Amino acid sequence: MADVFTQQLSEQIQQAVSEKRTLQVVGNNSKVPLSEGVETVELSKNSGIVSYEPSELVVTVKSGTKLTDLSAALAERKQMLAFEPPDYGDSTIGGTYACALTGPSRPFRGVLRDFVLGTKMMDGRGQSLTFGGQMIKNVAGYDVSRMMAGSKGSMAVITELSLKVMPLVEEVTYCRAMPEAEAIVLMNQMAGTTLPLSGCAYYEGRFYYRVFGEHPKQDATPCSNDVWLTLNPFQPKLQPNQKLWRVDTEGPAPSIPNTLAVGMCGQRRWVLSDEAPAPYSTLWQSYFAPRHNDTDPISNIKTGLKQVFDPHNVFKNL
Amino acid sequence: MSVIQQLIKALPQDRVIFDTEQCSPYECDGLSAYREKPMAVVLPANVEEVKTALRICKEHQVPVITRGSGTGLAGGALPLADGIVLGLSKMNQILHVDPLARTAVLQPGVRNISVTQAVEPYGLYYAPDPSSQVACSIGGNVAENSGGVHCLKYGLTVHNVLSITVINMNGDILVLDEKDDGVDLLALLNGSEGLLGVIVEVKVKLLPKPDTAQLVMAGFDSVGACADAVTTVLEQGIIPAGLEMMDKFSIMAAEEYAKVGYPLEAEALLLCEVDGSFDQVKVDTRRIADILTQSGATTITVSQNEAERIALWQGRKNAFPAVGRFSPDYYCMDGTIPRKRLAYVLQEIEKLSQKYQLEVANVFHAGDGNLHPLILYDANQPGQLEQTEKFGAEILKLCLDVGGTITGEHGVGVEKLDSMCHQFDTAELEIFHAIKQVFDDTGLLNPGKAVPTLHRCAEVGQMHVHNNQLPFPELERF
Repeated sequence: MADVFTQQLSEQIQQAVSEKRTLQVVGNNSKVPLSEGVETVELSKNSGIVSYEPSELVVTVKSGTKLTDLSAALAERKQMLAFEPPDYGDSTIGGTYACALTGPSRPFRGVLRDFVLGTKMMDGRGQSLTFGGQMIKNVAGYDVSRMMAGSKGSMAVITELSLKVMPLVEEVTYCRAMPEAEAIVLMNQMAGTTLPLSGCAYYEGRFYYRVFGEHPKQDATPCSNDVWLTLNPFQPKLQPNQKLWRVDTEGPAPSIPNTLAVGMCGQRRWVLSDEAPAPYSTLWQSYFAPRHNDTDPISNIKTGLKQVFDPHNVFKNL
Repeated sequence: MSVIQQLIKALPQDRVIFDTEQCSPYECDGLSAYREKPMAVVLPANVEEVKTALRICKEHQVPVITRGSGTGLAGGALPLADGIVLGLSKMNQILHVDPLARTAVLQPGVRNISVTQAVEPYGLYYAPDPSSQVACSIGGNVAENSGGVHCLKYGLTVHNVLSITVINMNGDILVLDEKDDGVDLLALLNGSEGLLGVIVEVKVKLLPKPDTAQLVMAGFDSVGACADAVTTVLEQGIIPAGLEMMDKFSIMAAEEYAKVGYPLEAEALLLCEVDGSFDQVKVDTRRIADILTQSGATTITVSQNEAERIALWQGRKNAFPAVGRFSPDYYCMDGTIPRKRLAYVLQEIEKLSQKYQLEVANVFHAGDGNLHPLILYDANQPGQLEQTEKFGAEILKLCLDVGGTITGEHGVGVEKLDSMCHQFDTAELEIFHAIKQVFDDTGLLNPGKAVPTLHRCAEVGQMHVHNNQLPFPELERF
């Protein structure tokens, strides 16, 4: 039997469809400023841990659960979300999933969707759907649970997520002052060794790296772990006319002018620029809105998939 | 002009095979109980030839079954009598290795093991290691989202692929990259079993080769005690690289085959391997040995050197052929279950074994809950294959009942179509068909595989309908 929340959500969606209104899915509203007059699907009350099996390395959680609450529950059992989700202030796990956000550990532990095992969602017909499950290995049916990561509330309302969790580890950060280009090469060379790294970045003239577990004595200065919070989420103070781009590159990619920070072992840059500085650049100020360029075959596929889940366009494409 | 004539005309010599003898190796994949002769086999050598073949097949409305090395265990590459097999074995070049970025760009026919061999000089390797890795192709690995024994720590194929290039029936070339914004099409294509596109290039992540690995082997006097020990290891924050369990029958068969000193009196055997830096492995090995002792292990052996470690693995790695020596045929199942239910599931499988009068041996990837029961049967005994398949389907139902799934790493193919009707409701199956339609509106890519028709589910009595209302009521049912 559907619970009250699911029942009400289904009714809200069906009602909106029949009255041709659009809905915006909202968690704790930590990322997207809400526009006036828009009707929302509120997920913040849909919160709490549904089940948690530390020894199976799986947690199932309602989508409106705050990252801080989830991480605290995991930490009690010495576990964590290994994709290091950025917290914009009471951010929810559902919103993090919808925006596919991963922190500095990405090159070493993987992206958010790597840890997604299953989802429950409600599509644009008000119909409950379940994909994946609670198993680490599961190849039955198309992997809709992982596909939906990054859909930004434009295709379905995610109500529940099952995630793989990992042991909590003690981490230490080291740093060294050096030129950027040298640091990028060095961090990639280090990532090719068995040094147990969980972060590599370049910020304000210094190369930072983070290590966990047993490791040999380092030829660098130990420094605070706080730099990873500065970079995750990276929120520099900008002038009103400045455009901040998130640029994803191959690890040892060449330098880009006006780079403010380099994270993820050189795979991610934060760059001030008027135009897109490279392929895979995202204008950060508008990242949280879904986008469609309706020309290439991939955009056609994305539009087609939206139609599969939301045939009446009830979910807002901001 | 017929489709075969047109393919021969448009493609270089030796690319098209259609006589019965030459086609025969393509009649089945690793699920050899199912066979079909295709209309022809096309073996393109590059992307342009793939596009040409797809264009001609589309013109003639001929189904295309893409095939890598044909090692799949679920019949995903089973031909259709009126379709062609698109074999990608000629596209077997490693196009680029970037040791600093730790990536490799591969054609789809590259064999899994040869990636690791090619990057070994840089101290790197490619982590996913399906048991067929000496033969299976990287394109097939992506199509099946293949696993292996190291999945718990290093993930499945989907976790190790950075980008793929795919061609659809319209000849569009789609590059799907981990760096893409929006819905994750790369993740969707992993495990899509050749229904959504033809994979023509794969870029994979390479990992630094661990300094060392060490294996702890422990015998237990009950399956439950062994499973509990695994639970404790994971609860203590250790993620072993390999974590394998075997039941009594498998232990006996493996020992008889490999003679490596497995404890024959044990009811369950655990092989627990850690890898990484020398310091970390030393610490973890000691902790694991302590935990297993405290968990009631009746025997413990710790590998003292590389030769010993490899020797101890020999029994497990040969478990399938070892069990196979006890019977003319065996059928390998691939369900997943929560580990805490293992003792119950094995007990129920034993009951089913008695019901069907067929013996079964169990090996279990204990870290990720992937259970491989091997049902022993004799295909020459009339009706025994059918009984075996019924037994297998009941095992998969059992896996679902305890909260698991019908396939952990082998895929659905043709083999588990009926079991898909148990795992998914009508609404979800409809969504799967609609996703297929978005990528392949011709319906010509590997039709009939991976997702059962609603008609089929209705026939097996497993059509789940919510509130007596069919979704998509406008669609015709067949």
